[in-house]
Order: sequence, then structure tokens, then C-alpha cells
Amino acid sequence: MSETLRQSLDLSLFWEYRYTVLAGLAQNIYVFLASAALALTLALFVGLSRVSRHRALRILSTGYAELFRNTPEFVLLIWVYYVLPILISKLLAAKFSLSPFLAAVLALGVAYSGFLSETVRAGIQSIPRGHVEAGLSLGMSRFTILRRIVIPQAIRRMLPEALSQFVSLFKATSIVSLVAVPDIMYQVSMINVDQMRPLPLYTGAALLFCLVIIAATQSINILSDRWRKRGWA
Amino acid sequence: MIDNFNRFVIPNLDLLAHGLWVTVRICAVAFAMAVAMGAAACVIRLYVPGVRYLAIGYIEFSRATPIIVQLLWVNYVWPELFGFPQSVEWAGIIALAIQSSGYLAETFRSGIEGLPRGQIEASMAVGMSRSRTFRRIVAPQVLLVMAPSIVNQLAVVVKASTLVSVIAIPDLMYDALKIVNQWFEPIEVLTSVAVIYILTIFSLSAIAKRIADYFREKYGLAAYA
Repeated sequence: MSETLRQSLDLSLFWEYRYTVLAGLAQNIYVFLASAALALTLALFVGLSRVSRHRALRILSTGYAELFRNTPEFVLLIWVYYVLPILISKLLAAKFSLSPFLAAVLALGVAYSGFLSETVRAGIQSIPRGHVEAGLSLGMSRFTILRRIVIPQAIRRMLPEALSQFVSLFKATSIVSLVAVPDIMYQVSMINVDQMRPLPLYTGAALLFCLVIIAATQSINILSDRWRKRGWA
Repeated sequence: MIDNFNRFVIPNLDLLAHGLWVTVRICAVAFAMAVAMGAAACVIRLYVPGVRYLAIGYIEFSRATPIIVQLLWVNYVWPELFGFPQSVEWAGIIALAIQSSGYLAETFRSGIEGLPRGQIEASMAVGMSRSRTFRRIVAPQVLLVMAPSIVNQLAVVVKASTLVSVIAIPDLMYDALKIVNQWFEPIEVLTSVAVIYILTIFSLSAIAKRIADYFREKYGLAAYA
């Protein structure tokens, strides 16, 4: 029993395919970077609209955030990959298709912009009203107040929370294998089809994710502590 | 579009309803297991010095691996390693339970550690034993304060449960994809299913918010004052 256990858990098979798996990890990182950029951009606009003076903007952006916070990422991914191209084709009356990579980036970016917009809103609302009033009394325009007083302070306060959202986003990139983006899980499944030895392969993949994510959370904790000591966050 | 809706969604309502029932069943069992395992992991981490590090390792592992990785890991590795689970449904339930138990353990821990030290000292001063202190003073308050986070975790379980279709559990998402692959008409089916999921998760989040508001009003327990 223990001999079979040792053999089946022998991670050398995983090590043999290290370059394939690392190429998968690179795909995870590409998807992560692109969707993080998209999520951040959308979240800034949505978060700002949520504290806007215009009621319509507030309602719209709250609806957006609630909608995407409550949609499962997988459902969104499948919807973007299968349904969205057809809808756009009908709209443009021309053939339109999304590559798996683009669909993944779009779905994850939009999904996480919902979560991040909450963080942005909380960050902006944590800036005391007096700062805005002080800016107004100095004759600054609303845009200047936003740019020079509110946003720089809000970003510092948002950082730790936003970074942990990004860690969740990285975890979520593991589902892109399901629309055939060649990420870690996709590569591992392919190797498994070849070798028929799921034990070392899936255990290795789980450990690899564990390693990457624990390293990320630990460094974020250290950074956040440092920022707190400097009085940033 | 209405035409397609009538052709692809209405005739398959039975199938979709059955899928929804599977989803509900899996989420309910997985969530119950997650609460029990989370509570156990938290209690071991806080009160059992010898095996503390095992509990910490378990919590960190379950929080640091994506749900799909755990799902495939439990589904492919566990049967060979431990001889169970023998059905995909149990594999899905166990993976969902592992994932959520890590988060719940941390939720419970922050609740217990946030409890003012004075209350425990007071119960010791009146001669209560440690286990009675835990049962009568610590646990009820932690459950009350953490109730909204716990319900929120149920919403997370429902969200993550969409992925169990990957290991061929016939849940709502699986049935939807089956219909799509049969007719190659994804728009109506996938949109309907998305709406069902969103409404379910939205109502769970709304319930969590209601609970939070209710407790805050009734006991003033938003945080330990």
C-alpha cells in the first residue's frame, strides 16, 4: 500500500513537465494582468459614479456593481464566450468571434470590477467631507479636488483591500482552462490524458497554486504593514 | 428570441428544475459540512496546542487553492489515495466544503478573538469552567455576530457550485451546457440560467444583509461594543 502511495505521489512526473506547466502559469499571469487592468479601470469609473452627485449615475453604477458581484464567474465566462459573440454578430450583421483569451479577460475583468468598485467607493467615502469643503473654499474645481485631494488619499487607503481582491482574481484565473485557454489546469489535464497519472499531476498543480498564492498574500501582508507604519494605509 | 425561448427553455424546464434541485442539494450538504469543519478547524487552531499547526496548514491550503483545482484534485486523487469519494457528487460536495471551511474557520476565529477579554475573565471569576465559558459566553455571541458572514459564505458556495458541472455532476450549469451542446442555440438557455443563478445569489446576499441589520437593531451586535 505505502509503496503504491509513494509511487503515485511521486512528483517527479510533475517535475518532468515543468516547462509545460510553467508555460501554463505564464498564461495564468497574462490573463491575470490583462483582466486586472480592465477591472481596475472599470472599477475606478464605477466607484466614482457611486459617489456622484447625479442620482441616475449612482443608481446605474450600484446596479452594475450588484449585478456583477452576484454573478458566478463561471456563468459569466461561459456567457461571454458563447452568447456575447452571437449577440454582437447579430448587432453588426457581420461575423464576430472572441478568442478564448479575450473572453476570459473580459469576463474576469468585468466580474472583478464589481468587487473592486466597492473597494474604490469605500476608499473615497473614507476621505473626510471637510477635505472636499476645504478644497472648495480655496476655489478649486470639483475635478481638481478629486485629482489632487481625494484620489491620492483614497488610493493609499484602498491598497491593502484592493491587493487582496487581486489575489482572488488570480485564483479565479484557474477557471479559464474551461474555455480552452492553455493555463496550468489545462496543461495538467492534457498531460494527464497522455500519462493517465492524475495523482502526482493534480497534487502538483494544487501545491503550485498554494505556493504562488501564499507567497503573494504573505508579501502583501508585509507591504501593508509597512504602509501602515508609514501612515499610508 | 421569444421563439427560441419557447423552443429551447420551456420544453427543458423539467431538466433545468432537476438541475436546480441538484445544485440546491449539493450546496446545502456542502455548506453544512463546511460549517462543521470550519468550526472544528477553528477550535483546534485556537485551543489545541499540539496539532495547531495541522489546522493552520489545512486552513491556509484550503484558502490558497482555487476551487476548480480542489475539485479536480478531490475528484481524481482522493479515490486512489483514500478510497473515497466513490461518486462525483460527493467529490463535488467535499471540494466545496473544504474550500468554504477554510474561510469559515477564519471568520469564526476573528469573531472569537474580537470578543472582549473581560467577558472570559468575568466568567472565570464566577467559577465557570473553560468549556462552559465557551458554550455559554463565547459561542452564542460569535454565532450572532458572524451570522451575516456565514450566510454570505453560503452565497459563495452557490457561486462556486457552478464549477461542479466540470466533473459531470448534473447540476443546473451542467444541464444548461447539455442543452446548448444539443441545439447550438446558447443565447436563451445560458441567459435564463444566468438569471436564475443571479437571483438565487442576490436573494442570499439580501438575506445576509437583513440578518445583519436585524441583529444590529436587536442586540447592537454589529461589532462588540
